[in-house]
Amino acid sequence: MTKTATPEPLLSIRNLGVVYSTSQGPVHAVSNISFDVHANEVFGIAGESGCGKSTLIRSLLRLLPDNGRMDAGLCQYKGQDLTAMSDEAFRKNILWQEISLVPQSAMASFNPVHRVGDQIIESILAHRDISRAEARERSAGLFDVVGLQSDLMNSYPHEFSGGMRQRAMIAMSLSLDPGLIIMDEPTTGLDVLVQERILRRIREIRAEIKSSIILITHDIAVIAEMSDRIAIMYGGEVMEQATAVDMFENPHHPYTLGLKNAFPSIRDIGSELISIPGSPPTLVGPLTSCPFAPRCPFNLDTCHQANPESINIGTSHQVRCIRTADAKQFRKLAREKSTWRS
Amino acid sequence: MFDYILRRLVYTLITIFAVASILFVLFRMLPGDPTMQVISPAMDPAVQLRMKEAFGLNEPIWAQYLIYMKNLVTLEWGRSFVSAQEVTDILSYRFWNTILLMAAGMCMTLVLGIGMGIIMAWKRNSALDIGGTIVGLVFQAAPPFITGLLLLMVLSYRLGLFPTGGMYPAGQRPDGIIELLLMPEFWHRIVLPTLTVGMYYISTPMLIMRDSMLEVLGSDFIELARAKGLKPRVVMFKHAARNALLGVVTLAGIMIGFAVGGQVVVEALFSWPGMGQLMVESAASHDYPVAQGTFLMLAILVITLNFFTDVLYSYLDPRIKITAKGVN
Repeated sequence: MTKTATPEPLLSIRNLGVVYSTSQGPVHAVSNISFDVHANEVFGIAGESGCGKSTLIRSLLRLLPDNGRMDAGLCQYKGQDLTAMSDEAFRKNILWQEISLVPQSAMASFNPVHRVGDQIIESILAHRDISRAEARERSAGLFDVVGLQSDLMNSYPHEFSGGMRQRAMIAMSLSLDPGLIIMDEPTTGLDVLVQERILRRIREIRAEIKSSIILITHDIAVIAEMSDRIAIMYGGEVMEQATAVDMFENPHHPYTLGLKNAFPSIRDIGSELISIPGSPPTLVGPLTSCPFAPRCPFNLDTCHQANPESINIGTSHQVRCIRTADAKQFRKLAREKSTWRS
Repeated sequence: MFDYILRRLVYTLITIFAVASILFVLFRMLPGDPTMQVISPAMDPAVQLRMKEAFGLNEPIWAQYLIYMKNLVTLEWGRSFVSAQEVTDILSYRFWNTILLMAAGMCMTLVLGIGMGIIMAWKRNSALDIGGTIVGLVFQAAPPFITGLLLLMVLSYRLGLFPTGGMYPAGQRPDGIIELLLMPEFWHRIVLPTLTVGMYYISTPMLIMRDSMLEVLGSDFIELARAKGLKPRVVMFKHAARNALLGVVTLAGIMIGFAVGGQVVVEALFSWPGMGQLMVESAASHDYPVAQGTFLMLAILVITLNFFTDVLYSYLDPRIKITAKGVN
């Protein structure tokens, strides 16, 4: 699991922000995002709906809608500056070839009128100069990797179950041996047993391939199980970033504590689920305070006055909170339901 | 797939049968005695009776219906009261003239309309998109007899660019359809009626295609197709247009029905010797066998085209096979 960080990260992002211009004014869906993804690593990004996870992926893949604008201090992949690349070069050399995607809804992400196999073959032929027969053979091999019979390649998406479609999606994401696979909620919408099988399959594939994975989910349990390092997002920013072990044994941000509460472990049978009251911020206009302050049980006046900077509290542990010194006390308080009453 | 087509075919035959039955009733409800045209009241009553017997008109109505159905199936569609020609002979000539004009009109409408719809969705909110929408709606608001007359007035009478009507120059009736298609005069003459039909109907496929394109472009599989690094053109045609086409094909079936109606006006306007014109002429001259044949033929045409639309749809959308099984 643990891998010493290579000096040169695979993907390096500094101060990435995305602004949507809307009728209500500019929406800062994502701001001040900085993280590295190293080779052969699973980097988990967790957060509730509307925290900017999907916007972050779209901006990385240049799939933002027309009203969205991304700017980044740095966006480097294998040493190349992605922001300087033309759309055409990005499409040809980066998309799928280097960074592929397992989308949020495998159900709707296959084109209903084309055969599943053809859609995978298409992704190969778009980037490789090989014959169709070779591409077909390769796709059949990928089907095998994800545990689908290769004769299913001739089926249409509607003939697949949800789990099968998700597997086929994973097969497609592997089609060009990309350096990085972004998995956006790969198990959402699947029943628990299928979820478990998909996760097991991803782990098995991880052992065989060299690709890094950015795993995006709202499910803390999934992220804890799969990731090497984790970023917790809230209000378009990364609240806390640490190794998986650190994040669960030594969490600092009140939001991380609240999020952990919302997902009970099997040992907590009988205990009441504690949720964080309130709802995420709307993000219209730039942040002038800590985005979590209105929902934070430990907020101070200063929290409402300025958006805190991210601070290092360990070699690879960053927290965006001014009260990190009191983290030990917070951890104890966060386990009590009364703390979270607004 | 085969199952589905077979079932559709059976429905099609049932529909044609129903239309034929309705026509039988309709023509017997028409005011005036159709036999008046042939059997003169001035004749000896005994002769009149003999003639009625010969036509089977003294039989009870259900027997007449059976004779009618038998004659339809065996292609004994009677003779024109006016020219005494076999109805089937008249129709076989007129039918192809109508088909030619319709095909030209529908080609223009569908090919150009769908193409325009794709480009408009692609360049959403551009001058082309907005202009196309406005022009399309203006054309649709103008009935064909107005646009047709305007085209005739400007392009034929004023500028003399096109002949005013007909299918071929007077006195040069071609021998068969091949010869007709080889005549440059024919192509010269088909331009204006095609334009008239095309202008009227083009907005429907164009705007439907544009809207369904925009809808499809927002779907997850388009986002994934983009993420796959496919060329924008491939995303647009293979993924978006291919799906958006489904909506237009459904609509094309309905549109063809209306287009046949519009055909009557256009043929009359441009003296096009097709079934539409024949329908008007025969109704005006109380030529019942011809009118009945024309109505039936046009109905069969619409129903058959709808059948082909359904088959095309099942080819375009693989999910339809499941639906067909689900229905029965």
